Amino acid sequence: MIVTAQKPLNEILDLVSPYSKILIVGCDGCTQPPRGLREAKTLGQLLELGGRLKGKDFTFKATTLVKQCDSFLTASALKPQVEGVEAVLSLACGIGVQTVAELFPELVVLPAQNTHFMGMEDREGGILEERCIGCGDCLLALTGGVCPFTRCAKGLLNGACGGARNGKCELSPDRYCAWELIFERLEKKGKLDNIREFRPPRNYQVKAWRLVP
Amino acid sequence: MVNEERVAVRLDEQYCSRCSICRSLCPFDAIKKEAETGKIIVDIEKCQVCGICYSACPARAIDTIYYDYGSVISYLENAKQKHARQPLVIMCKGSTPDLAEVEGLFKVSNFIPLSVPCVGRISDELLLTVAGMGVEGIYVLACDEDYCRFDRGSPLARRRIFALNRLLAQLGYGEEFITLKRNSLKVKVDKDRCISCGNCVFYCPYHAPKLESPGGVNFDLDACKGCGLCVVMCPAFALELEHWERERISALISKLLPEMKPPKLLVFRCQWAAFPSLDGELSPNVRLIDLPCASRVDAIHILDAFNNGADGVLVAACSEEDCKQEKASGRAQRSVAKLGGILSQIGYQDRLHFVSVAPRNGDGFNKELEQFSQKIKDQGAKK
Repeated sequence: MIVTAQKPLNEILDLVSPYSKILIVGCDGCTQPPRGLREAKTLGQLLELGGRLKGKDFTFKATTLVKQCDSFLTASALKPQVEGVEAVLSLACGIGVQTVAELFPELVVLPAQNTHFMGMEDREGGILEERCIGCGDCLLALTGGVCPFTRCAKGLLNGACGGARNGKCELSPDRYCAWELIFERLEKKGKLDNIREFRPPRNYQVKAWRLVP
Repeated sequence: MVNEERVAVRLDEQYCSRCSICRSLCPFDAIKKEAETGKIIVDIEKCQVCGICYSACPARAIDTIYYDYGSVISYLENAKQKHARQPLVIMCKGSTPDLAEVEGLFKVSNFIPLSVPCVGRISDELLLTVAGMGVEGIYVLACDEDYCRFDRGSPLARRRIFALNRLLAQLGYGEEFITLKRNSLKVKVDKDRCISCGNCVFYCPYHAPKLESPGGVNFDLDACKGCGLCVVMCPAFALELEHWERERISALISKLLPEMKPPKLLVFRCQWAAFPSLDGELSPNVRLIDLPCASRVDAIHILDAFNNGADGVLVAACSEEDCKQEKASGRAQRSVAKLGGILSQIGYQDRLHFVSVAPRNGDGFNKELEQFSQKIKDQGAKK
């Protein structure tokens, strides 16, 4: 999932303050919790409340899209809703915001979220961690399903560095040492030999910025 | 600690025959027999104030401050002056739908309603007195037995009514003078709105929702205990809790706020955290919305209240130990704290407050309400 965090309310209030009729567009897509209809409505209520103290009257409408980054879905679903709207406040990741901005060039499109990373939620919930940087050269098969780019603080491809204490990274005691995790996983699979294999430095040339599907 | 003066359940040793019936019926192990002396003791800190012991004590040695014989009879006498010879409907508030639906359920119109926390607290004596008062019939709406928040209240009411109907039949009151029906309030799914995100599956303490195949979530309604947690966690508004629908609560908020006087204080209260009195009057600054559990307290409704001009919102819940649902009140506390943090970003700090109270302490809720009212008064009204 793509992990986003809502901007501070005062920042959003500043963004929307030049406009009065605002459509808040959620996205049911890949964020967790989904920034869907509930978040859109709640944010509208909060901004209305905050606006009132600043003497500003907003009219918010709330809606949501299945996947804001899907330009076909978004074009057809959003078109009938943007009439008479001065600005769109998007709850999607940066990709969703850009999709709407591209589809409706005459419309003001504002982000309500800061997009952070691709990641996952731990089992207890509440903590989201980065798990993939989209390097274009996946090596998870070699590392027992642990990504050293995101989980090793130093991004080492040939670990461990030796700085770990009790399985935790020397840089942050609440962070697991990725290379110790890799060792444990490979040991369980009987593939410890993988760790001897030398992995050359990351090849930045394979990272694509566009792909033909 | 519970204030001695307003302790909710009290046992008078003078009358106690030490028969232990109360002890055998208490669902919460709150009644003990002292090993050395054989005295029966109520451990009020464990007591959940269901009233089962009160209704069952053959020696009338147990007293309660809520819905006791005297207050119920005087409530009925008042009601009867207005509507003579009407049927009485006694409802557990845990499972009561709209009064219109209650009418349909029992096929009665114009009845005297009596809403109590658990029908297990209605004693034989009370039912017999009511029968003698000339009501047209007694109807009892209990929770389904595995839905009963007090575990043994609903089954006890069934046994009691069965025996009383036999007795009343002998006295010439007809075969079924007391009619018992059951109901439970559960989740409803709108599959067209479901986005299959799995939030309900993650949060439900009872494993009622299943998300196994495409096409949205399915609920095992036998497992659903009606706490409402999934409803407030659903990002797509695809879930509703029967009788506690989002629109219905919103409509209630828009109706209550304009009739209040500033500073306006709206309370969302778990219906098990404090019991309203039968003749209670509220200050014009305060209105209460009783919810099935604190976990049904919805950020949408708290914000509705502020947007409708509330100066303060109080959420009153049970403590985590007293919660009639699976740790739902702790979850509610965290949600309220999170919303409070967001509200403080826009100048609404200290306007939203969470408290844990319990009916075992008769003054608990009122004291908290008073303190919060004072705090809001000191801050002055919002624009």
